[in-house]
Amino acid sequence: MAGKTIRRLQELPSTHLLGTGTPMCAGCGGLEILHEIYDILGPKTVFTNAAGCMSLLSVYPYTPFRGSWLYTAMASAPAAAQGIRDALDILLEKKRIPPGDDLQVITLTGDGSAYGMGLSATSAAMDRNLDFIYLCYDNEGYGNTGQQYSSATPHAALTATSRTSHGYPGYKKDLFSIWAAHRPAYVATVIGAEPLDLAQKVEALQELQGPRLLIGLAPCPTGWGFDPSLTVKIGRLAVETGIWPLKEYRDDRTVHTRIVRHRKPVEEYLQLQDRFRHLFEPERNNREIALIQARIDQYWSKAIDADT
Amino acid sequence: MFRIRFHGRGGQGMKTASRILGTAFFLEGYEVQDAPRYGAERRGAPIFAYIRADRKPINERGIIAGPDLVVVADDSLVPLPAAGVLQGIREPTVILLKSCESGATWRQRLNIKNPIVTLPETGEAEDSAELRYIGAACAGAAAGVLGIISRESLAQAIQEELGRLGEAVLAKNRANALASFDAIKKSAAVNVTEGGSIPAQPYKRPAWIDLPFEDARISAPVIHAGLTSVEVRTGLWRTMAPVIDYSLCRGCWWVCSTFCPDGVISVRDNQPVIDYDHCKGCLVCVAQCPSHAIAAVPEKEEQARKKAVAGEAS
Amino acid sequence: MSRRLLTGNGSAAWGARLARVDYIPAFPITPQTEIIETIAEWIDRGKMTGRMVTMESEHAMITAAGAASATGVRVFSATSSQGLLYAMEMIYSVAGWRTPLVLVNVSRGISAPITLEPDHNDVLAARDSGFLQIHCSTCQEVLDTTLMAYRLAEDERVRLPVIVNQDGFYLSFTREPVEIPDSRPAAEFVGDYNPENMGFRASSPSSQAVAVLGAGAYSYFRYETHLAAREALSVYEEVAREYRERFGRYHPIVETYRTEDAEYAFVMMDSFATKAKDGVDRLRESGVKIGLVRPRLLRPFPEEQLCRALAGMKGAAVIDQNLSMGKGGVLYTEIASALYGQNEAAPLLASFIGGLGGRDISAEEFYEIAATLQKAVKHNRAPRPRLLYTVEELRAMRKLQAIAHVERHGSKPGE
Repeated sequence: MAGKTIRRLQELPSTHLLGTGTPMCAGCGGLEILHEIYDILGPKTVFTNAAGCMSLLSVYPYTPFRGSWLYTAMASAPAAAQGIRDALDILLEKKRIPPGDDLQVITLTGDGSAYGMGLSATSAAMDRNLDFIYLCYDNEGYGNTGQQYSSATPHAALTATSRTSHGYPGYKKDLFSIWAAHRPAYVATVIGAEPLDLAQKVEALQELQGPRLLIGLAPCPTGWGFDPSLTVKIGRLAVETGIWPLKEYRDDRTVHTRIVRHRKPVEEYLQLQDRFRHLFEPERNNREIALIQARIDQYWSKAIDADT
Repeated sequence: MFRIRFHGRGGQGMKTASRILGTAFFLEGYEVQDAPRYGAERRGAPIFAYIRADRKPINERGIIAGPDLVVVADDSLVPLPAAGVLQGIREPTVILLKSCESGATWRQRLNIKNPIVTLPETGEAEDSAELRYIGAACAGAAAGVLGIISRESLAQAIQEELGRLGEAVLAKNRANALASFDAIKKSAAVNVTEGGSIPAQPYKRPAWIDLPFEDARISAPVIHAGLTSVEVRTGLWRTMAPVIDYSLCRGCWWVCSTFCPDGVISVRDNQPVIDYDHCKGCLVCVAQCPSHAIAAVPEKEEQARKKAVAGEAS
Repeated sequence: MSRRLLTGNGSAAWGARLARVDYIPAFPITPQTEIIETIAEWIDRGKMTGRMVTMESEHAMITAAGAASATGVRVFSATSSQGLLYAMEMIYSVAGWRTPLVLVNVSRGISAPITLEPDHNDVLAARDSGFLQIHCSTCQEVLDTTLMAYRLAEDERVRLPVIVNQDGFYLSFTREPVEIPDSRPAAEFVGDYNPENMGFRASSPSSQAVAVLGAGAYSYFRYETHLAAREALSVYEEVAREYRERFGRYHPIVETYRTEDAEYAFVMMDSFATKAKDGVDRLRESGVKIGLVRPRLLRPFPEEQLCRALAGMKGAAVIDQNLSMGKGGVLYTEIASALYGQNEAAPLLASFIGGLGGRDISAEEFYEIAATLQKAVKHNRAPRPRLLYTVEELRAMRKLQAIAHVERHGSKPGE
């Protein structure tokens, strides 16, 4: 492996490998993550994709990938990664393909699959210590079908299946911890708005073997209700308010890669999005806003203790 | 039977438009079918919706092949083959365009004789907050052109379709729709005529073919190459264009290039270059540029400017 | 070549071993489990070189199987009943991927109520998936068919996955003498797997199983899969003949037994059909001109071969070991569709449902079916579909219902 090469923002790639012309929405935070990651992983890759927004990345006869891709189904994209990894190993072992034809296997799913239907397949892939990378683009709902709530939906968010003024009554599932509890080689959270942190994590995981998993928060103009030009701003606010902690798990330990000393109030993040507008209009719902803030504060007070 | 097709971009409320007009027909005592056509493409991409209305029960279904009225919310869609705005139009088909230019100009440009009615634009396309009101305005204008839907039915239909969005949104939509309705009633002297059915005799025989057997090397759903998506011109989705003022560009760490979700900004000769064939116009680059060197310009102005530059050059 | 006692499951495992499969994604389910246990042991002892992975479900198993096959290795897997149903989304998918893997299905009745005994509703649920289906009646056939299935699946004119079906218990756990081909001629027969232009390689990127927009593209891909399945009829015939040349055993598309001068026929699939052969022999002894027609291929459906086999007969009794709720026997329906509209007078068809959940079919029942058929032909009137179910069975059922207190809420069974 190449080793760490990206230390500064200036060293991020400025020519891009993922093809243009995809049917993702304008301002898609998930596509932003994917293209940043693809710049580093490159074309010697095969993606196994689950049903979700990104099923449509490859629509006959168009594909944005320089490398390869296999569409599977919503529940079993990690199982396809297993099949391909094993098949490539067999082909290499039996010398039916040259070593240069090997590929990195990457599973690409949305939160609907990662947090829900595909969780069993992911868990099992980790049990089997599958050598693969998993990227979940998390837009906090079933985006491809019109943003119904999923188990990644945050508390109080309006979705197509939680339309009342209270929004989604549940709380976002802690997939990072569930994944990390399997003790895989690597787990991290990323976001497109923090490309240096993302690039360094992708470089780090490339030096490891075994299951390496990423959850990328994907601000979604369509599903969350904001102007597409705000994708990066909202992403950055997710980090600055502490609602999306950037962290990584390896060697049995979780470390926060970005600790914001003075976290901005979460309402700065919430009020830019239609899905939380009911917390501010027609009148401010102080109780709910305070509740969301308190959960973030509680998270960080624990997290900083644990890190140090 | 009236067959009406609405064309717009994802996010412009064409589904709402077809529902409002469908409900208005229904309130006038018509049998109605209305449906949006969902594709896989997203906000900004061309989409359409359609309505059938008749005094008898409707058996016809699916996409309208031969419309009597075509309503276009965004005139930049007209020249796009992918949008299929003019598909299946017959001589009497009325075209209702939201456009600053006149019907005569469009007739000449498209080289067609169809009646074209234009509804002046009010700059909604440039303001994304206004986008969602275009649908109601189009429905109002269409009701006006049809001449068989009363002002009251239109207002009632808007109430039924948009009432749940709250009084403020409802009022704004109602005002827009009724203003379009009145404006068209006053200005347009066209008749939308109901199209008939396709006769059983004589008819055009379908050119059926026995699909030849092709083995899986050809007939599996596989793309045997990379990067073919660049042939999809997603630049057509754009209503606003980011334009770089190179005198202000400080050649930073290529913020625009990194953050562009679609990766359409590359760096050449130490300068960022936007690939307008594929830029969807999200304007993340405009919002993020640290030196404010990228401006958002209405796509039409940018098109006109480019045309002028090309004219000078030749 | 050696001849020894082998179960159906053992035969399937031998088929995979002789086909020198590269990859076996697996998941246990009764009555299939013995297949993967056998293969696992062979791999552990170095007698077989494939790689086996136990997945977390059949859905994942078929996904991994299809993905590996799409990457360019030879894949084997096995399942049964609930497992096949759980995998069904991917059964359809991997057929659409055009991946030539072989799956042995050990037929077992479908829940609810749950049972371990065989019938064919499991495999028939995959009927329209694009998997080809070959149904076996002996353990020998299971082994031979598994080998032939790779030739059929991987043929460039076909390139579709194949299900080799055998009945649970009646074959899976039943030992019979089976001739095991030597590994070299078997390897020569099956050949090396050539994935042609399918695979994932750094040097040749491909996007497989991509979405389509528009019915024109969708119809094209789907119909080509159908055409490839139709091609499989003639390809299978080639493969079966070559198998006969090499190994001396011929397994035709449709097996016929004593039909040359037959006026009547039993039509059945899978292992219960050998019981029908016995029935035929006894009935022949008593002067009834009857034979057996047994389709081995269900997909592609061999209309021509079936029509030829039944041509000139007065009547045929289709005995279905399955039940399409609200319709009846599936094979009966398919046979009727093949015969309808033929130039020659079709035989009178009678439908019998038997063997559900492994329910045995007795010799007397075959005789009674023949008698019913003859009577129907005489009166030129097809009988009503008949479930093979006796007074004693219902009486036993009543006892169970009494224990289950089904009368507690006022209604008494049978009144």
